[in-house]
Amino acid sequence: MEQTFQGTTSYVASKELMDSVNIAIALKKPLLIKGEPGTGKTMLAEAVANSLGKKMLIWNIKSTTKAQDGLYMYDTIQRLYDGQFGEEGVDDIARYIKLGKLGDAFDSDEQVILLIDEIDKADLEFPNDLLWELDQMEFYIHETKRTVKAKHRPIVIITSNAEKELPDAFLRRCIFHYIDFPEKELMAEIVKTHFPNVEEALLQNVMDVFYKIREIRDIRKKPSTSELIDWVNALQIGGISADRIRSELPFVGVVIKKDEDLETLKQNKDKF
Amino acid sequence: MLFLTFFYKLRDCGLNVSLGEWLTLIEALKMGLHNSQMVDFYYLARAILVKSETDFDKFDMAFEDVFKSKNLAPDITDTMLSWLDKSDMNDLLHEMNRDYMNQMESAVIDKEDVETKFKDRLRDQDSEHNGGSYWIGTMGKTSFGNTGGNMGGIRVGGQTGYQSAFEVVGARKYKDFRDDRVLTNRQYQLAFKKLRQFSTRLDEPETELNIDGTISKTCNNGGYLQIVMQKPRKNAVKILLLMDSGGTMIPYTELLNDLFQAVDKSRHFKDVKCYYFHNCIYSHVYKTPECENGDWVETNWLFRNLDSDYKVIIVGDAAMAPEELYSVNGNYRGPNDGLSGWDWLLLMKRHFKKLVWLNPKMAPGHAPWREAETAVKGIYPMYKLTVKGLNEAMIKLMQK
Repeated sequence: MEQTFQGTTSYVASKELMDSVNIAIALKKPLLIKGEPGTGKTMLAEAVANSLGKKMLIWNIKSTTKAQDGLYMYDTIQRLYDGQFGEEGVDDIARYIKLGKLGDAFDSDEQVILLIDEIDKADLEFPNDLLWELDQMEFYIHETKRTVKAKHRPIVIITSNAEKELPDAFLRRCIFHYIDFPEKELMAEIVKTHFPNVEEALLQNVMDVFYKIREIRDIRKKPSTSELIDWVNALQIGGISADRIRSELPFVGVVIKKDEDLETLKQNKDKF
Repeated sequence: MLFLTFFYKLRDCGLNVSLGEWLTLIEALKMGLHNSQMVDFYYLARAILVKSETDFDKFDMAFEDVFKSKNLAPDITDTMLSWLDKSDMNDLLHEMNRDYMNQMESAVIDKEDVETKFKDRLRDQDSEHNGGSYWIGTMGKTSFGNTGGNMGGIRVGGQTGYQSAFEVVGARKYKDFRDDRVLTNRQYQLAFKKLRQFSTRLDEPETELNIDGTISKTCNNGGYLQIVMQKPRKNAVKILLLMDSGGTMIPYTELLNDLFQAVDKSRHFKDVKCYYFHNCIYSHVYKTPECENGDWVETNWLFRNLDSDYKVIIVGDAAMAPEELYSVNGNYRGPNDGLSGWDWLLLMKRHFKKLVWLNPKMAPGHAPWREAETAVKGIYPMYKLTVKGLNEAMIKLMQK
């Protein structure tokens, strides 16, 4: 391995996560990342890109995204219009072929990180439609009879929120990592990378309350790392002193977003 | 070969590790990605072989079993026991049974003789039999059927009671390749994709090319191109899912759960409503599978609030006792509101245009001894809850 990922100053990764990234790079396989919302799945790709000094391409998947969108688009309408008005170069189809994110990643002159974000949002068949392209790192443009082949195999990171089950054939080709919810020590470290000057007493109290909230069984939407960071930020800006956190739960709306969860929290107030 | 043992152990534990993944792991080991450390090997193997956090536990068990056990002898018996416990290991079981039978040659059981008799009786038997000493049935003493006490007979489906039946009819090695097998959530989701009925919504941007419109506008425009765009079409299918959570349905809990998940995750429906009932539908349907009185909505409420174009999928074994179906006091858990279960089912049928009934244990063909099932079949199209049955049901729901 020439380059390995070691985490960055702004992204704290567990050892297992770093290992998984390095395994995926070494084996040249896509890395599939799952985990609770807000555990930094998307940020991981950014951190890998920063750490390895590579460019990152993000392919955001939506429910309407098709595999073809990632490869290329043939802008027939533009070509029709251009043909009408006798524009130059209409006979050159290649002018109207626009590469998608995957195509860009293959066509890039340097190795890039390709993040396929929230792959489970797309149609059930979507991952299967990409099998060949991700395996062989190439695809064929029918209109121009050109094969786009990866000059440098991109490092592919795929995130999933487990909204849909992914097909087995696709899973078999991936390296899988599940981001556990961070333990307290790791969490403290994560918060400190965002707020290096955070008051120790404040952090301690916030974390205690935060983990207790997560422990309440009836909470529907468990608050995540990103919500904790927002909360610490809000408390700092509001200048709330550390000892008021437990008794008053100030700005708790940053952490708890559902009405019924707020209600549950009120009933459990004596626990803090 | 400790290493190969690990591979088979993982598969024993229910992890579907493919050969490709295994070769990837070996390649990774060749590259030294495990850093010659056990803990790194653990994470390496897990990242490559396991693709869902729900399977981590199985992996841990297999890993501990293979790499931590010092004493191998009792370990083998453990493994054997787990084989005996696994329905998906039937081919192995099959083989072991045959070995066992070979040793039992003196036990004077002529396989061919048993098979001939079995075929004869399959032909002659015309009803369900439990506990007899001649016909094929459960708990009996003949060589046929299941949960029986006869050693070395032909087992007909069912859970294995005695493990010595030498021919496990109904548990075939290649059953995975058949489409009538009850399968996974993903296949259910694919089946539900059949439920599409497009209609145009108004609040969408125009992103699709209207070819006919474009051609006619362009012609009117003297041959100069004029593009016409249109709104994409959306699925307008609405689903009402009613699930039986009565006692006889308990063996199918996982199946129903899968089905529910599949409907829940199929996001292309315009609306999905899900309620539960206990054995039969009466004046109320419950909001939770526990079917607690009070936590319900009136069946009449469904009629008032859900249009008749909701597509209704009822899942249940239709194994009500006759009085549960026909008596106006048949509901022993809650109110009947003056109508029998049968009448409520007829009202459902009258209100909703499209209904199907999915039955996880439907008898094949004509089964007069299942009175309620036969009766329900008469008013609702009924399908067995398998991938094939589900597909057929979905097609039925979409028919004009």
